[in-house]
Amino acid sequence: MSEPGSGAPGAGMHAIPAQPPPARRAPVLGAIGVTLAVFAAFPVLFTDPTTTSIAFFTLIFMISATAWNIFSGYSGYLALGHAVFFGSGAYAVAMSAKSWHVAGGWPVFALLPFGGLIAGAIAIPVGLVALRTRRHTFVVVTIAIFFIFQLAATNFGFTGGTSGMLFPIAPFSAANYNQPFYYVALALLVATTFVSWSVRRSRFGLQLLAIRDDEDRALGLGVKTRRVKLGAFVLSAVPVGMAGGLYFYFVGQVFPQFAFDPLFDLALALMAFLGGLGTVAGPLLGALVLESLQQYLTQTFSSDAIYLIAYGVLFLAVILILPRGVVPSIATLVRRRHAARSHPAGTMPEPRLRETAA
Amino acid sequence: MTLSAFAQAVVDGVLTGGVYALMAAGLTLIFGVMDIINIAQGIMVILGAYLSYELSAHVGIGLLPGLLLTVPAMFVLGVAIEFGFMRRLRDQDRTQMSILVTYAVAIVIEGIVTAVAGVDYVQLQASYVNSSIHMLGFYLPDIYLIGFGLAVALMAGLYFMLYRTKFGHAVRASLQNRTAADLIGIDVSRVRTISVGIGVAVTAVGGMVFGATNAFNPNTGYDLISRLLAIVILGGMGSIGGAMGAAIFLLVINDVVAVWWSPTWAPLVYFAALVVVLSVRPRGLFGRAAVRAQ
Amino acid sequence: MSILRRPALAAAAVGAALAMAVWAIGGGDRANAASGSAPITIGTSLSLSGDFSSDGVAFQRGYELWVADQNKAGGLLGHQIKLNVLSDASSPAQVVSNYERLIGSDHDALVFGPFSSLLTVPAARIAARYGYAFVEGAGGAPSVFGAGLSNVFDVSLPVKLNLVTFAQWIASLPASERPKTAAYATVNDPFTQPQLPLAQQILQKAGVKTVLSKVFPEEVTDYTAIAGQVASAHPDVFILGAVDVPTVSAFTHVFIQQHYNPKAFIATAGPDQGAAFVNAVGTGNENGIMVPNGWYGGFKKADSEKMVAEYIAKYGGTASGVNADVAEAYSVGQVLAQAVNATHSFDQKKIIAYLKSGVTLNSVQGPVKFDKLGENIALKTLTFQWQNGKLVQVLPLGGAGTVKPLFPKPAWQG
Repeated sequence: MSEPGSGAPGAGMHAIPAQPPPARRAPVLGAIGVTLAVFAAFPVLFTDPTTTSIAFFTLIFMISATAWNIFSGYSGYLALGHAVFFGSGAYAVAMSAKSWHVAGGWPVFALLPFGGLIAGAIAIPVGLVALRTRRHTFVVVTIAIFFIFQLAATNFGFTGGTSGMLFPIAPFSAANYNQPFYYVALALLVATTFVSWSVRRSRFGLQLLAIRDDEDRALGLGVKTRRVKLGAFVLSAVPVGMAGGLYFYFVGQVFPQFAFDPLFDLALALMAFLGGLGTVAGPLLGALVLESLQQYLTQTFSSDAIYLIAYGVLFLAVILILPRGVVPSIATLVRRRHAARSHPAGTMPEPRLRETAA
Repeated sequence: MTLSAFAQAVVDGVLTGGVYALMAAGLTLIFGVMDIINIAQGIMVILGAYLSYELSAHVGIGLLPGLLLTVPAMFVLGVAIEFGFMRRLRDQDRTQMSILVTYAVAIVIEGIVTAVAGVDYVQLQASYVNSSIHMLGFYLPDIYLIGFGLAVALMAGLYFMLYRTKFGHAVRASLQNRTAADLIGIDVSRVRTISVGIGVAVTAVGGMVFGATNAFNPNTGYDLISRLLAIVILGGMGSIGGAMGAAIFLLVINDVVAVWWSPTWAPLVYFAALVVVLSVRPRGLFGRAAVRAQ
Repeated sequence: MSILRRPALAAAAVGAALAMAVWAIGGGDRANAASGSAPITIGTSLSLSGDFSSDGVAFQRGYELWVADQNKAGGLLGHQIKLNVLSDASSPAQVVSNYERLIGSDHDALVFGPFSSLLTVPAARIAARYGYAFVEGAGGAPSVFGAGLSNVFDVSLPVKLNLVTFAQWIASLPASERPKTAAYATVNDPFTQPQLPLAQQILQKAGVKTVLSKVFPEEVTDYTAIAGQVASAHPDVFILGAVDVPTVSAFTHVFIQQHYNPKAFIATAGPDQGAAFVNAVGTGNENGIMVPNGWYGGFKKADSEKMVAEYIAKYGGTASGVNADVAEAYSVGQVLAQAVNATHSFDQKKIIAYLKSGVTLNSVQGPVKFDKLGENIALKTLTFQWQNGKLVQVLPLGGAGTVKPLFPKPAWQG
């Protein structure tokens, strides 16, 4: 696996696509516009409730994977405990709807920011503890904290224990039930993606990338690493909390083992990796393909053994063929083509963090 | 709570800690040598248990003699996985990518086991599964004593291998500095392949003891991963003795809290203890700074 | 690498695009209204992998047996029945999409419930939205009936009464034989937790002292400490709230190792799992262990015996080896069929009104009559015991087909 710059010490872990030159901005904006239009029109074009239901769950994972990437993708810290925020957001929405006697339907959507707020508030102490550690230890600490939350939700009385909590029933008609959920999720996705994109372009984002490449060096250069990491951690928790509230409102009931599901943590990581860790578009693409495909395949294959084997093998194939994820691989491909035209072979500049950071 | 109940809980914790150490030993070895988080460890334990089950229930080979077949079989599997997937991962994001690859491997193994064995729960049976010896007022179950004995023997064997053999020297050298190991003529990738093979082979033993003390189906492995990872990190990655110490430490905490206070809060205390220890000592209870730069 | 990467990349992109296309097209409307004598489809979603997979597979067999029998007898209102089982991998998101597919997209004539109380509410809410009757056999937890749904009907026993028959029997024993002490341990689960307090109340009133009462978490993979504590408390009666085989098996093994043998040992679930249970505890050790339920493989009832014979012909084993989930699933089919035949239609409104009318229906598990919450109030709690390799009915005393309970429980086989 010889990647550009992989041998050189201190080189960027991942090539960072340079900012597009001004001449290429218009097509990029056009592509974003078209994509948005397709997403907005989707439930109108495909009214089938199975399709809109799967599309809704796909949006939830696109939000969560994008939010996860704001911390883990940019900082290089692999967090496997974001289900803490997913579940906390869900419980916050369920409990506030219950204690404030919020009617089903649109009013519950208004509680989602509260779910996000609670998730963000929880992220502060969690981040303060977990970010004392690095690398593998950080991964395991996030997993351990995740289990503490799952067990607490099961054991405490105010969460409803193992019976879980019910959400009020939304009075939407069966045929159009999924659409309001879809559009709320889409709005949340657009907002989350915008945040991710802004962070990526900001000084804050560059500091995160510097931490990913060499934390001690970043510290030496004057980056307030602890504050930057914690900021990104909290920022990534908020949308996940809102997504959790929305997801379980759609399902109708929240239980500890579903709200705090270890497979959720793995799913986010897989989606971001598959699409391209640390890129804005990567987690979006990874979640779009993985969640929709997984739901469709689970529904279609009645033999689970064969489904599991096929899914795993497909996965391994993709990882081995595209080890950096789809988006960076395509970006490299495009750049190489571009470079081959404008530069003689072999003189293509290697993308480096320091060049973009300068 | 009486003193004897407390003592019983400590004894239980120590004995079950031995079983967990057996299941985690392979994980820590792979972790230390390869920098790989093996999510498939849980399903590998279950695979080891199923291999023992097939041999004892359908071929008539007992659990202990059966290890002579299951351990080499799992060694081959480990070598194949390292050769097929792990070595393809690039050094700089190996840890992160390993989670993906081993998760995919876990899904494939779960699918194959489900196709072959079905989803009904099974448990390993043998004359020593239910018997126990009476000592100092306690009944000590034979299967746990066997498991503990196997754990001690395997730890000693791995220690001997790592510190007294040429191969172990090569493993430790490549564990500390790959480039330097390369320079002094060590075939690092061969060392890694064999280490993963050994790590997975050891898991066969853990699987046998787990399968004799718990009923299992192909889905059971997922409940194990978090505990095994906790043990490996707490013990210090790559530290075989550390895994043993950490397993006993965590299981004693778990069992004492379960008896003293409440079983539902026990795992919470267990994970809280882990978080506290690691935020004070990030490299684990027994980890040495030299093993891996933090 | 680049030679390998380019075609592979193209292939991956084409594959993803194809998958998306199939997904969009596959989800399209497929009308399945019952017209003429065309076959009708009954849809269900079951956990064929994940946490509930062993029960999911047993449920699938029960549904399939019922469909085969019903088709042999001419189908439903002259229509042959096709069963459409989707897999939900024990995930709530998947269960939602699956019932949207069965009802909203495919317009299946009828739907059956999923496995487990945890997945019942999300599924039943979708059915309610479309006005569908939701008959199920494995969603008996109080959390299901408290969800404010008027379309849910559970053909099985309401779980909270499960242990009452057993507790009343212990309380009725003459003072000289009656156990003096009891211990209670239950997994933290909405199915088991409501069952134990009622039994404890009855036993304490009869003077049976509680020596231990513990709740343990679901994801335990090691029971030695909890089971060891029960063993050292040496209660005469041990009541275990369990949802699966591994829990009961683990307690049993620790008891044998600790040389503790209760006079009576009952578990809320696990011993009803037939051969899988015997295999896990070790042949012979099952002797004397009890389980409350509405049904067992040796149940003396004509349609039940016929179903068991068919099950054995198809999957092998013995009557005692048939999982009670099979009968729960089969009963769901029977109850819906009676409603369809009585109303002469697949009109969900009529079916719901009929099921709510207080009529008593028949199932392999016994009579079915729903109260306004959808609980089956006609079924009596029976208690079964493993005796010499067979699961037999022992309680209520003197009931049809019952044998004398083995009391005190025989020694472990080791």
